[in-house]
Amino acid sequence: MDIIEIENLSHRFADGTLGIDGINLNIREGSFVVIAGLNGSGKTTLLRHLNGLLLPTAGTVRLAGISVTQDLLQVRQFVGMMFQDADSQIVGETVYEDVAFGPENLRLDRAQIQRRVLNALQAVGMSDLAHQRPHLLSGGEKRRLAIAGILAMEPRVIVFDEPFSSMDYPGVKQVLQNILVLHRLGHTIIVSTHDLEKIIVHADRLILMHGGKIVRDGIPADIMKDVELFGVRKPCAFRLGLEAESWLN
Amino acid sequence: MAELTSFGYSCGDSLLHRMDTRFKIISIIFLSLVSLNVSFRGIGLMTIILSGVIFYARLPLAAAFKELRYFLIMLLLIFVTRVLSTDGTPVTNLQYFTVSMQGIYNGILVCWRLAVIVILGFAFISTTRPSAIKAAVQWFLKPVPFIPEKKVAVMMGLILRFVPVILNQARETAEAQKARAVENRKNPVYRLTKFGFPLIRRTFERADDLVVAMEARAFTEHRTDPELTAGKRDWVILMVVCCLCVSLTIL
Repeated sequence: MDIIEIENLSHRFADGTLGIDGINLNIREGSFVVIAGLNGSGKTTLLRHLNGLLLPTAGTVRLAGISVTQDLLQVRQFVGMMFQDADSQIVGETVYEDVAFGPENLRLDRAQIQRRVLNALQAVGMSDLAHQRPHLLSGGEKRRLAIAGILAMEPRVIVFDEPFSSMDYPGVKQVLQNILVLHRLGHTIIVSTHDLEKIIVHADRLILMHGGKIVRDGIPADIMKDVELFGVRKPCAFRLGLEAESWLN
Repeated sequence: MAELTSFGYSCGDSLLHRMDTRFKIISIIFLSLVSLNVSFRGIGLMTIILSGVIFYARLPLAAAFKELRYFLIMLLLIFVTRVLSTDGTPVTNLQYFTVSMQGIYNGILVCWRLAVIVILGFAFISTTRPSAIKAAVQWFLKPVPFIPEKKVAVMMGLILRFVPVILNQARETAEAQKARAVENRKNPVYRLTKFGFPLIRRTFERADDLVVAMEARAFTEHRTDPELTAGKRDWVILMVVCCLCVSLTIL
């Protein structure tokens, strides 16, 4: 079943710039998709249409058959989004309060909120830090907190925008581990990146974007030969003709 | 940057920690108002009680005094001003001023009262989670017309959350400019402009990112209300505080 259906999607910004142009894309439920491309290729603009942060200038976006313009609240519950700068998306004064922010917006009762928050913190291995202040967390912990904040909304699709930028090796491994666990639990995962090295071995589909359009779409191994044509560095293993290995090994 | 200040919430399980925040705020208001009008005996009694409470709740008073060093300087200035500006029985004569007995008495009393109010504030801040303060403010503002109490509570929370982030940004900006020898420029206006504009621009950019992130998590003003629970214990404490206030005024 296609959980995301995008037809002829275009978005023009207020200054007249065309962000994305005529995108057609279907994503199957439970899949692991990587969207790669240069900075400014339209990745973030495309992703922001998935939970109604941007609305289409033309075309339609449907999630499980519901148009994003039809019910924004449901769409935002349906698609969780992790942004590049974790610091800017943490709103709570403590870890617990930050994770509770989403469920509070959904007007759940306190018992439900507590259950969701504790489950989300456990899923990212941060139960011990529930009363910690967010600004005291490490970069990796902040990303995991952002993931917990999304999980507490119980979304079916989780979108990661450059999840590994400015992170050290242990931080990358922790976040990657969390992403893979979420995928195993049945979430549809969409990761946008310009650095395929850390993630591509786990993806079952690679989409390349350039100039606001999808220029390649398929199984990673099949289109890997073309990635450098569009400004994305080919991972080392593919360059050397070796078998690609996970960063978790 | 690890901690902003030690003048913040410290975990604990004392009666003061467990007391409902709304009752704590009302008690503090009463005690602060009374402390402005009490005599030496009254303020002495208040200090003894307050010291006992702080000791019982195991609050980090020593660390707080370190944070309050500038306030202590201000108290000293207030004391000196009072001593030199109050007429009365002269104790000693300086060249242009006379130090009077009443001046010393007045100065000590005013400084003591202010110190007690600040320590009351310290006891409140140290035993109350920011989220509980936010919830209590929202509760107090509910009956006030034309004030969107939920919006005010969210704004309070965001300020508490983002002050450390903005200070971090300020430190990074200052260090980046030092690395490019900004200290060689002696003009303070030039330095302030070069420091202020990038910091303000970055703060607004962060605010934009924050709005998008909050929208992505379905932000609405009609959110689940914060939890506040008042019990018999809170009413009893409030009654005790009221009785204390009356006694202090009589003393």
